Order: sequence, then structure tokens, then C-alpha cells
Amino acid sequence: MLRLHLKTIPAGLAASLLCAVMAQAQSATPAPENGTLEVEQVFAGTCGFCHSDGGRAAGKGPQLMNSPRDDDFIRDRIKHGKPGAMPAFDGAFTDAQIDQIIKYIRALKPREG
Amino acid sequence: MRKQWLNSGLPVLAVAAFAASAALAQTVDTARIEGAGQNDWLTYHGSYKSHHYSPLAQINANNVGNLGVAWMHVPGRSTRGLQSMPLAADGVLYYSGSYSRVFALNGATGEVIWSFFPELDEALISRQTHSPYNRGVALGEGKVFVGTMDGRLFGLDAKTGKVLWETRLIDSQKLTVGFTGAPLYAKGSVIIGSQGGEWPGRGPIFAVDATTGKKKWEFLTVAGTDEAMKTWANDSWRTGGGGGWMPGTYDSETNTILWGTANPAPLYDWSGPDYKTQGARPGDNLYTSSVIALDIDTGKLKSYHQELPHDAWDFDSAVGEFVMLERDGQKYVVHPNKGGFVFVYDRNLGVKNVWRLVENINFVKDIDPKTGALIGRRDFPVGKVTEPPLCPFIGGGISWNSGSYSPKTGLYYKIGQEWCMTLDIQKTTPVTAPQVQLNIGADFKMAPPPGGEIYGHLDARDPITGAKKWEVRYPEPPLGSVLSTAGNLVFVPDSRGVLHAYDAETGAELWKHNNGTGHQGGIVSYSVGGKQYIAVTAGFGGMLADEYAPNFGGVYKSMPRDDGALVVFSLK
Repeated sequence: MLRLHLKTIPAGLAASLLCAVMAQAQSATPAPENGTLEVEQVFAGTCGFCHSDGGRAAGKGPQLMNSPRDDDFIRDRIKHGKPGAMPAFDGAFTDAQIDQIIKYIRALKPREG
Repeated sequence: MRKQWLNSGLPVLAVAAFAASAALAQTVDTARIEGAGQNDWLTYHGSYKSHHYSPLAQINANNVGNLGVAWMHVPGRSTRGLQSMPLAADGVLYYSGSYSRVFALNGATGEVIWSFFPELDEALISRQTHSPYNRGVALGEGKVFVGTMDGRLFGLDAKTGKVLWETRLIDSQKLTVGFTGAPLYAKGSVIIGSQGGEWPGRGPIFAVDATTGKKKWEFLTVAGTDEAMKTWANDSWRTGGGGGWMPGTYDSETNTILWGTANPAPLYDWSGPDYKTQGARPGDNLYTSSVIALDIDTGKLKSYHQELPHDAWDFDSAVGEFVMLERDGQKYVVHPNKGGFVFVYDRNLGVKNVWRLVENINFVKDIDPKTGALIGRRDFPVGKVTEPPLCPFIGGGISWNSGSYSPKTGLYYKIGQEWCMTLDIQKTTPVTAPQVQLNIGADFKMAPPPGGEIYGHLDARDPITGAKKWEVRYPEPPLGSVLSTAGNLVFVPDSRGVLHAYDAETGAELWKHNNGTGHQGGIVSYSVGGKQYIAVTAGFGGMLADEYAPNFGGVYKSMPRDDGALVVFSLK
């Protein structure tokens, strides 16, 4: 259905519709109704499967704490993924939510103790 | 087709031998798979008995030193390596690669007879985590059956590769899950289980009419009966999981399909010990992490055993082996569980014994060998799990690839994995809509076993008692399947890329060959024109293999995760 929308309506409208649909659909997922993410939960639910220890260590995917990659690179990778390595999340997270995820990554510190 | 072979410059003798075997070709049917003719490998597990054993003995412990590469085939686009189990019938080898590409090859020469590249929904696949590998095909009634990541099952003409039917079984757009496992053919039906585990679906297993492609029945591994629905309090069945992503088997004596099911979601629950009433999915969560027996004609549940009630560790039962054997007049079914235990059942899935393949297990203190009941569970509340770490690691004490049972030695050859993990369990909001892939419920990291090192081992065990005859150790757990043969040999394709051949009685290494990249798929033996072949898939990458480079370094640092080849051996 989403794909159909994107094909038949202007891109800008499609993007806002997509966001609206996602925000609605995610009411039962880690995104509360105001559209902000509980990023720690998102990591524990999804990202942490590959980015070990909540992004602090390399696992199936690279370590994210102290990543040398810039925000644009990380944003692009979250949205479009990497074939055979990382899924594309552009249908799952809005741009604002991706910004929140980047913020979380930048704030990552080693665990205490 | 014959003309094509002649033009390719094949030796006339080889063509004549192949034409002769093709002329003798019979339809692959239930009786033939049951009989497991010695020249063929007709179904994922070798036969319905799931022995992964070849009665061929031309290649044997005395001459295996002369084993060399006969031919290779490169399927291309091997994203996340090659993970499938080749099949062989009447001199033709069939196998699949990533993106459900299927090949039919001349078993003696490797020449391509036909290939099938399904047109897939690439945008959907780019959104999937457990994708785009494929773990095998099924044969039956002159057809080759293969599932796709976008939720379809195909029936192809075994002679030409032409699509005879195509059936959409799952709305993958909605669920973002599909089929990676091989189907099973039996009694006019093609059985295939969907992915599940981490997704908010109900993990269906399907039966499809092999002739028409029409769906016959569907069994839901999450709350699929009224009884099961009661084991998911607070409507938590909506968080789902389950599925049956590896092929099980068929018991013709009882007209039953035996299948292993995957874990519930989220993988790690924050309930603590009160898991019956608290947490993300209060209750036992039937029929996840279970072995189930379904009537092949109706899909009705006949019996089951939940190996891990309320699995809080992702140590599910999706391993597809149901090793059938008889001893002292008793019929047994042996089924390995991801947690590192091996369950021994009667044919109705009544527990007869449970034994440990793996040393480092602490998610339970033990499992009662008489009843299968878990003793001393570790159910985690929110917070860190470090002292001790959880053992085994999320990759399991036993992974999804198959072991091998040799009726000749009476031994079961099986890979065990010794590794653990630290966790930080999170209290999560229920995920009931398939928007974001996965539903793990914790941050985690691989860790060595307390006071020890990570390693893997091939064990030669009594399949009923678990008594160990010998063991071979590897610095990193091997991830491929094991093959034993009547030539007194056991073949193990390891993670570094070396294929080993051992003496089946003693475990002494007799031969090895470096295939140049890690193994994580199948290995079979078959015969064409009186000559025995060993076929193994090489090609690394995916959910477990991707952990090797960061954790083990060495050869894994540069090992490709988008490459692979089928390598076939014969005596020089």
C-alpha cells in the first residue's frame, strides 16, 4: 500500500503521508504518540542485534560509539541500509527519529563498572 | 538438452553415462525418498530418517587421501554466502543460492542444465534482516520446489526449470518475513515453514498441493489452538514469534509431519521468575520453542513437546533434524535443541531422554532426562547479566545446520559450540505491528565461557544415551553441516574454509582441503555413472558468521560475506 502511494502521489506528499502512517502504526512499537523514540528501547529491540552492547562494541555490525562517520553518512546508512549487511529503515523511522538515533549514537559512553 | 552437452565438448563417455542414468530416471516420490537410494540425496535431511548419511563407500578411509576437486560451480550474487543443502537425483545436482536462485547441474561435470532466477521484490528484501540467503530446495513428482524471501513458493519443472506454479503464502509486504528454509516434499504435499522468531506474526507452517500449488492447510505456531491461546496472557500472542524456518521431516508410519519451531518475541523477556504472570509475554507461549507433530493431510496438531516453556533465551527448537532410529525394538526420534541439549523422543514425541552435547550451559541448571522439565531456570529481570554471562551465546550451543548419524558405526556426529554472552535486559513496550525489524529486548555481546575459551567441537556420540566416543576441537565453532558415509568417513566443513575428513570410528584426521572461504551450508554425497562425489557449499556471511570477524579476527577479517561456490570432490 505504501509503495502504491509513493507511485501515485507527489513525493513531498508521499513523504508526509509516510510519516503519518508510520507514526500511527508505531503507536504500539517503541515510538510513543508524540513521534519521539525511546532510542534505548529501539537499540535493545532492533539495532543492538548487530551493533553489540547497545552500539558500544562491534558485533555483526560495526561499533557505533566514537564512530568516525559523519552524521550524513550514518543518516544515509540508516535510511537505505547496505545490501547483505544492514536493512533499510526509511520505511520505519522518520527523519526526526533518525536524528534522535544519531544523537543517541553520539552520546554513547562505555558502561560503568 | 543432449545436443547442448555435445556442443560443449564434453567427453562422449560422460554424456553416454549421464544419458543412461537419465533414461533410468524415475519420478522422485514419497516411497523413493523413504528408501533413500544410495546414489541420490533426495531431500534436505538425506531421507525422512534425517540421517545425513551416505551408504556410498567408494571414497573411504583407505583412499580418501586421493580426494580432489572434480568441478566447481559459482552461483554469483552470494549475498551472505552459500547456506543451502544440495540435492541429487538420477545424476543431476540441484541447489539454491541467495535470492532463491536455483541451479540444475550435471552431477558428473557441473555443466549447467538449467537455472532459475526468480524476480524478487528487492525493495522489500532491502528492509529485511534475515535475508536474502536460501537454505535449499525440495524434489518431488518431477518438480523442484523453492521458497522466496518475499513470501512465495515455486514449483519448477525438474527437467527444464520452467515455472509450473507459483503460490503466494505470506503477505511479506506487511510482515517483512518470508521463506529462507528448504521445503519438504511428502505424500503429494510441499511443506514449508516461515521465518518468525523476532517478528509480530504467528509463524505459520504451510502445506501446498505439489501438483497444483494450491494451499492445503496452515498451522500457526503462535497460539494456533485454543489451548495455546491461553498460554499468552494479556493478548501477548500479538507480539508473536515462532515459525518453523528449517525443514522437519515426515513419518510415514504415523502419517505425520515432525517440525521444530522458533522462539517467541521479544527474545529476552524482562519478567524475572514470575514469567507466568509478568513480563512481555506471560505464560508458556505455545507452540514456540517446541517440536510438533501435525497430520500431513489436515495440518491438525497430533502431539507436541515444548522443549523450552516460555523461552527467555532464544534457544529455540527450529533445528530441523529429527533423527529416526531403532534400538532394542524401540523406535526413537532424536532432536537437538539450540540450547545445547539433545532430546530423545518416542514417535509420539514422548520424552525418553535428554543429554548435553555442550559443556557451557547455564540458562538452566539441567533438564530432567525422564520428563524434559527444566530445572533451575534463569529468568532475568531488567538489568545486566554478566556474572556469570548467559551460556550459550545467542548463536546457540547447537546451530541450525545438521549433524549426521551413521547406522554403520551407530554414532551421531554433531557440532557443539562453546560460547557465552553478556546482556542488558530492557523493559520494552509491546511490539505488535511489523514496522521495525526484530524484537530482541536486550543489548548483548559475545563473551568467553567462565574460566575458559570460546571453541567448537565435533562429537561422536551415542544418539540415545549421549555417551561420547571421541571429540575433535576447533578454535572457532564450525557452522556447516556434517556428513558421514559408509566409507568409514565423517566430513566437517569448518568456518575457516577447511573441509576435514575423519575416521568415523576414531576421529583421526585423514584428509583436508582448503576451499578458500568459510562454510555454513550443506554437504552431501551421491553417485553418477558408478563414481562417488562429495558436494559442499562454501561461502560465509549472515546472522552468526558476521560475528566472526569482530570477535575472532584472523582469516575472518578479510573473508568475503558476499561470495560462494559449490565445490564437488571425487577420487583422482
